[in-house]
Amino acid sequence: MDWLSRQFSTRVIVLMPIAIAINIVLGATVQQALKLPIYLDSIGTILVGVVAGPFAGLLTGVLSNLIWGYLLPAPIGSTTIGPFAIVAGVIGLLAGVWGRLGLFRSRRGESSSIPGAVVAVILVGALAVYTYARAYASPTDFQNNTGFDPATIDQSRIFFLLILVVFVALIAVALFLRRDVGAVYAIGAGLVTGIVAAIVSAPIAAVVFGGVTGSGTDLLVAAFRAGGDSLVSATLKQGLLSDPMDKMITSFVVFFIIGNLSQRFIARFPNGERLVSTSSM
Amino acid sequence: MTADRPTGSPPSPPDFVLQAPSGAYLSLNPATKLLVAAVEVEAAFLVGTWTGPVLVLLLVLASAAIAGVLPRLAVIVAVTVPIVASIMLINGFLYPGAVDVIVRIGPLAPSVSGFQFGLQITLRLLAASLALAVAYLATRTDDLLSDLERRGFGRRATYVIGSAIETVPRTVDRAAEIVDAQRSRGLDTEGRWWRRARGIVPLAAPVVFGALTEVEERTMALEARAFSTPGPRTVLRVLPDSTPQRLGRYVLLLALVAMIVGRITGPLAVLP
Repeated sequence: MDWLSRQFSTRVIVLMPIAIAINIVLGATVQQALKLPIYLDSIGTILVGVVAGPFAGLLTGVLSNLIWGYLLPAPIGSTTIGPFAIVAGVIGLLAGVWGRLGLFRSRRGESSSIPGAVVAVILVGALAVYTYARAYASPTDFQNNTGFDPATIDQSRIFFLLILVVFVALIAVALFLRRDVGAVYAIGAGLVTGIVAAIVSAPIAAVVFGGVTGSGTDLLVAAFRAGGDSLVSATLKQGLLSDPMDKMITSFVVFFIIGNLSQRFIARFPNGERLVSTSSM
Repeated sequence: MTADRPTGSPPSPPDFVLQAPSGAYLSLNPATKLLVAAVEVEAAFLVGTWTGPVLVLLLVLASAAIAGVLPRLAVIVAVTVPIVASIMLINGFLYPGAVDVIVRIGPLAPSVSGFQFGLQITLRLLAASLALAVAYLATRTDDLLSDLERRGFGRRATYVIGSAIETVPRTVDRAAEIVDAQRSRGLDTEGRWWRRARGIVPLAAPVVFGALTEVEERTMALEARAFSTPGPRTVLRVLPDSTPQRLGRYVLLLALVAMIVGRITGPLAVLP
């Protein structure tokens, strides 16, 4: 039991509610106000998983969704979030595993950053093009794939591009100014997390809501179903549109946050020794 | 001030401590309400296809009426309208493999079995979410948390849940303060959307980093108040509980298990 209680030091206990609040506030803003085809509601979950461990991450994810879904009143609270608590838990659990493997460690100056940069550019470029092409090809596609009002497509498109620009700029800063290949590992971890999240959430969306979540992506699911897909594979296709891009951005943002907090602060968390760069001293 | 403090047997809590709630449903112990809600949610999904959701809905509405939270429950029902409409329309018009299609309009094929399926999912969803909503509306969060802590649920878990619930509105307020602060430095937050979009990073970064730097101070504040010290604590305000309720909770726990067994072995699955 010692390994378990070490994940829940007072510091982690204090971090968890703050992480939950970051999840909910950012998620509600991105999904409800900016109308993007990504979620950005697991920055806190992945942060806790990485700095504290798999079980702390799991608990943060599950509690985020339960509190968001059932304990908060209507403008922020949303009844469709609750059943996806298991998905959020899996995301936190995986983040804990990545943290243990040291994938979020800053790797400043460890080796040449060129192969890493190439991998990152190919990975990010391919997924960005895929998500952009699917979600924004035309106002009808935008409505079908995200369920938002076609009139908001320009606004949503700009916000999405802006997020991408910020994302790419941060990667460039990490790779070229800081020569930190760690960013590539974090993005790769995010990609795997996103694919797993899409696979786990599809049957939940299918069983609990009959594939329908009342906001966003319903029409896409309907379109796939009309095309003859089973309920689960229709919802899976929707998830694979949003989740990998979302988790790549989220993982990188967490990597960037960890890199920008003081090393003294990070090192005090249970997983701190695996996150602090060893060579930059 | 100190002279007229009552002496002798247990002093009643001071006035600023809220009195225990009264009323048939409200005065139930929070743990009982939580278990009742859990049984209701499980029943909505496991008992038959129609029996469970309908029975649970009736039960939930009755307990809401007794607790006097019906008006607030109506607000929650209103919030679910878009998803209910969505479920009914998508399933009603696009139910795969339906043989009883009413009329065919291009790709749309409204069918009786589609609408039945949609209605059934809707009832389930409403029954389950309203069961939780009534328990939530009729229980103060602090009451539930302090009661759970008294039952050995763990100070850490109760802190996380309680603190998260109060941190969300605080973070929203903080974000508003940061918007004001950045605006006073010349950030355009009311122009065209592409001008506002440039403000995302200067707004989001202080929210996240500000919240994270709080961790250090809060950790020390909690440790200074013996947060991680082992051993029991005394409570200022004891919540009502009774032997029938205690027995009732064991029955509810049994029901939780029995329903799973009943569903797997068949008797609950054959109900309409």
